[in-house]
Amino acid sequence: MAAGYRIVTWTPYKALYDGALALGCTAFVGAFIGVALATTPEGQRLSEVQLLIRASGACAFALLTLILAIGPLARLSPRFLPLLYNRRHLGVTCFLIASVHGGLTLLWYHGFSDLNPLISLLVSNPRYGSIQGFPFESLGLAAWFVLFAMAATSHDFWNAVLGPAVWKALHMAVYVAYALIVGHVMLGAVQGEKGLVYSLAVGAGAAALAALHIFAGGREARRDADAATPDAGWLRVGPGADIPDACARIVTPPQGEKIAVFRDGDAIFAVSNVCRHQGGPLGEGRLVDGCVTCPWHGFQYRPQDGRAPAPYTEKIATYRTRVEDGIVFVHETPMAPGAETPPSTLARPA
Amino acid sequence: MFIGWATPSAATRRGVLFGGIAAALGAAGIAGTLAATQGPPGDGAWDQSAVRDWDGLLVRAPYPMLRTRALGEGVRTAFLGGSGKLSVAGRLPAGLDGPVTVRASLIARGDHAMLAAVDDDAWIRPAAAQGDDLAFPAPVDLGEAALQGEILDAKCWFGAMRPGYGKTHKACAALCARGRLPLAFCQTGACITGGEAPLFLDADGAPHTRAILPLVADPVLARGRLVQVGDVLQFRVAPDAIVRL
Ligand code: HEM
Ligand code: FES
Repeated sequence: MAAGYRIVTWTPYKALYDGALALGCTAFVGAFIGVALATTPEGQRLSEVQLLIRASGACAFALLTLILAIGPLARLSPRFLPLLYNRRHLGVTCFLIASVHGGLTLLWYHGFSDLNPLISLLVSNPRYGSIQGFPFESLGLAAWFVLFAMAATSHDFWNAVLGPAVWKALHMAVYVAYALIVGHVMLGAVQGEKGLVYSLAVGAGAAALAALHIFAGGREARRDADAATPDAGWLRVGPGADIPDACARIVTPPQGEKIAVFRDGDAIFAVSNVCRHQGGPLGEGRLVDGCVTCPWHGFQYRPQDGRAPAPYTEKIATYRTRVEDGIVFVHETPMAPGAETPPSTLARPA
Repeated sequence: MFIGWATPSAATRRGVLFGGIAAALGAAGIAGTLAATQGPPGDGAWDQSAVRDWDGLLVRAPYPMLRTRALGEGVRTAFLGGSGKLSVAGRLPAGLDGPVTVRASLIARGDHAMLAAVDDDAWIRPAAAQGDDLAFPAPVDLGEAALQGEILDAKCWFGAMRPGYGKTHKACAALCARGRLPLAFCQTGACITGGEAPLFLDADGAPHTRAILPLVADPVLARGRLVQVGDVLQFRVAPDAIVRL
């Protein structure tokens, strides 16, 4: 593709997804403000700005926790794939809500004086050596910069400029942001007047995320251990009949990119699992019109040679396959991207 | 099988619809639970739109103050503050002393009061004499005290910020202290509920210097003397007699 990236326009699914996202955020902020007003005695209300600072901070954090949960959830069950698609919308929304939070903080707590608010933010509390007195604001600021970098590069343009590997590495920094925000809340709001519920909520969120990641990772590791055979680089995929027609099974070789092994009727093909567009998981897509079709934005590749159909020019690696007694094997060494690799054939049950 | 760019199947649409509703309910539940843990910030209040004239006697030290009958119950003392996190000290006309009229809105919490002066130059003007009894009576030394609590900026705690104390408010309190707004001291526990927050001064009854900034809004133990000056309780503490807890 000449332009380097394909414009992915508004789709009916995106509209639904963003509608649900807006509903969720509105419900969160609305409930936060409503309940806070309802539970504080008349004449003892928090000021509106401070309430909004808290509601937006908590909302951004909840959203970030959800974002990080989607990856392992989708690996555990394809039912969660619809969440994975357009996860970037969640990320950008999280960044925007966090910006409201940070901006209001800057205005309210650091403004209205003759000192520049940004300088106030950095110098008002120099106690970096103390846990109890730690300037939690700077952790929030650092996290905001990470979210900013990710939101700013979220467009496909940057994916094309940076390349999928750098782009992905950059976006893994979301874990750094998450850790920074856990610190931000624990050393800030939790140390302030509201102790237990906040620390439990943050702790439970972080523990659930860690458990999900470990569980999903463990399941994949077990599958991959099954796949490893001493047979000179051939990985066991499993019974061919277990691969749903026009769909794939994903295998992780000891080195290199994951492999998507597709079944098209009796034919077995294997291609790289990594889409050239944004690294989308091809093995979670399906064959459409005879082409491997990325579940994320619909890039297509021919299964026999990994080439995008004309006029497009992307290429992904193919892999050799073989079938023995109905069991499919794939070789861990990729062929050159675009190299024609003949399919192997499942013997029809007699 | 889900393909994002395709028109969603009925099953996917249903999933998103119910998932979205469930997520919204969950979000509201979590948010409500978190919100319910917000402690009440106390009953400080500031109606910025209620600007009016206040008659009284101007006192310049240790902080600009107005001794006035306009707050009810005899003669009371209101601190004078600017509109933001700045003192009015720099805006006091040189030579102005004695009876004045101040244009300001009231920030009040319990018996504590501050007048937030309007921004224009005419915020203060000389007034007719209002009787001698407006002057501060002689100070009465109430003896030594060692108090545990927090150094606050009076403006926020009286009602400009809700809440206006604690770690999350430290940066703001430090700006007010830099801006030479009066400092007060609340005892642990009483920072939230209100009660008495004495004016916080150095051992000689003068305002603290910027050296105090790092200690503002931290839990501290302060040893000094309590001094009653009219309706104002002062807590006079030498800088080296403040220990962070
Ligand atoms: C731009 C930099 C940031 C600054 C200066 C900042 C500052 C603050 C301050 C002062 C508070 C205490 C508010 C209060 O209790 O009244 C706070 C709380 C909080 N912040 Fe931030 N923050 C920043 C970025 C972030 C980011 C990026 C997130 C999450 C995505 C976040 C999440 C939170 C949460 C969850 C709370 C607790 C809410 C509460 O107090 O009830 N903050 N932040
Ligand atoms: S990642 Fe966008 S189409 Fe594959």
